[in-house]
Amino acid sequence: MYENEKRERVVKASRDITMNIKKVIFQVHSKDNKEEVLEKAGKDLEAVREQHFARLMKELQGTDFWKLRRAYSPGVQEYVEDATFYKFGMSGTLCTLDEINSTLLPLSDPSLEPLQINILDYILGLADMTRELMRMAIGRISDGEVKFAQRICQFVRQIHRELLLVVPQMDDSYDMKSKMEVMLQSVIKIENGFTQTN
Amino acid sequence: MMNSAYRSVHLTASRLINPNPISSSLLHLLPLYSSTHAAPPRSSPLRRRFLATPSSSSFYIPMAAGDDQVPPPESHLLEKQFESFRVQLEESAALREQIRAVVMEIESATRLIQANLLLVHQSRPIPGFHFEAVWLLLVTNNVAVSVDGAEIIEKAKEKIDDLKKFYGRLAEILQKCPGQYYRYHGDWRSETQAVVSQLAFMHWLETGTLLVHAEAEAKLGLNSLEFGLETEDYLTGICFMSNDLPRYVVNRVTAGDYDCPRKVMNFLTDLHAAFRMLNLRNDFLRKKFDSMKYDLRRVEEVYYDVKIRGLISGGDPPPPNVQAQSS
Repeated sequence: MYENEKRERVVKASRDITMNIKKVIFQVHSKDNKEEVLEKAGKDLEAVREQHFARLMKELQGTDFWKLRRAYSPGVQEYVEDATFYKFGMSGTLCTLDEINSTLLPLSDPSLEPLQINILDYILGLADMTRELMRMAIGRISDGEVKFAQRICQFVRQIHRELLLVVPQMDDSYDMKSKMEVMLQSVIKIENGFTQTN
Repeated sequence: MMNSAYRSVHLTASRLINPNPISSSLLHLLPLYSSTHAAPPRSSPLRRRFLATPSSSSFYIPMAAGDDQVPPPESHLLEKQFESFRVQLEESAALREQIRAVVMEIESATRLIQANLLLVHQSRPIPGFHFEAVWLLLVTNNVAVSVDGAEIIEKAKEKIDDLKKFYGRLAEILQKCPGQYYRYHGDWRSETQAVVSQLAFMHWLETGTLLVHAEAEAKLGLNSLEFGLETEDYLTGICFMSNDLPRYVVNRVTAGDYDCPRKVMNFLTDLHAAFRMLNLRNDFLRKKFDSMKYDLRRVEEVYYDVKIRGLISGGDPPPPNVQAQSS
């Protein structure tokens, strides 16, 4: 059936995003030659976007985006996680949903409806990103870069607090509830990391 | 086509299966039989929509032979019973929906209080550690700025009035079904525990003491005679509060408040000892109480850590080489 074939292609495109994008996270974590590596990470992110994400968008043209959401959600979440993590590594700020979506607009056919990441996938990806932030903070603390770790700590605290008020209103908030637990544990881990530095 | 013998059997049987005053009042709604024997059994207005024709006795049971035959009394009783169940359960479901709506508002208000109170983890360090304060502010200027502890509590307090209002509404709803408090209590149990936890934490931040049950009850506008604060909910809420204390202590120490661990440790030690006097059975509250032990242990660790490093205030300032030490 055509529908099933399309769904499978969407799943594959989603998986391709996931597989190719993970290296961006490693690069942002990297401690050597930070600026160079970050620049490369930015280029890799762009490549994934232009190649694999564009492919996903192509496959989804003509289909209702919500209908096939389960097929592409994991890849999109992973993309959000990596893109927001990269943005934080670069500027210490949050890449908003609007910002991410504006980078996707050029990729789609102007005559068709552009694929825009929805609010749920964004929040889910953001939650996963906080775990990477925790690892980064712990790493920075052990390197003696306490100030940057403080910044990460405040950032994760703020995201956690904002999401606390938003998550209960989400569809199928069950997944997100357990991510919130993990997020709080990440915050606590970072906070505990500072007790080693006094 | 009823005969009087059948009628009296039915009436007696109905009284036997419906001793409950509520359902007997429902039976009151169902006109049983008309006084004339010839009247067809189109008794219940509720059942009218089920009846295909006025003269059919019951279409649930296929008639074996002859339309003169009356359905056996048992099937009539059976239908009547489940009919009355339907009505009762519809009522309780509607009540439950009302309760849920108020409980969701309670939950929402509690979340706001919680999000507010979370700011104490980044509140300004105590005076005397000026450099640290400035440093923290500089570092976090893009994100959330360090907030004043007193401000936080003031903001949180505003929400308590809302909570009082919501619990008042809950009490009103429950008045519609007197004697059934415990039937519906589960619908607000966990939310109330969360409320108590936040209130108790707020109280502790302000006074350093435990919010007692009577005070918690009063804050929410409850009273034990009508709609009160369940003791177990209160105790569970206190345990949840204790779960947040280790994190608070760690962050206060990071901010330079080295007196905090001792205060919290003493508080938790007393609290834990008081809880030990209760004879808790092996349930959720018991598990929460057990987790308090780990909270206490964690706070003790922080306390000893601070002590070892010579950071406890009240003594001489630590010698320079201790400060330069990193672990």
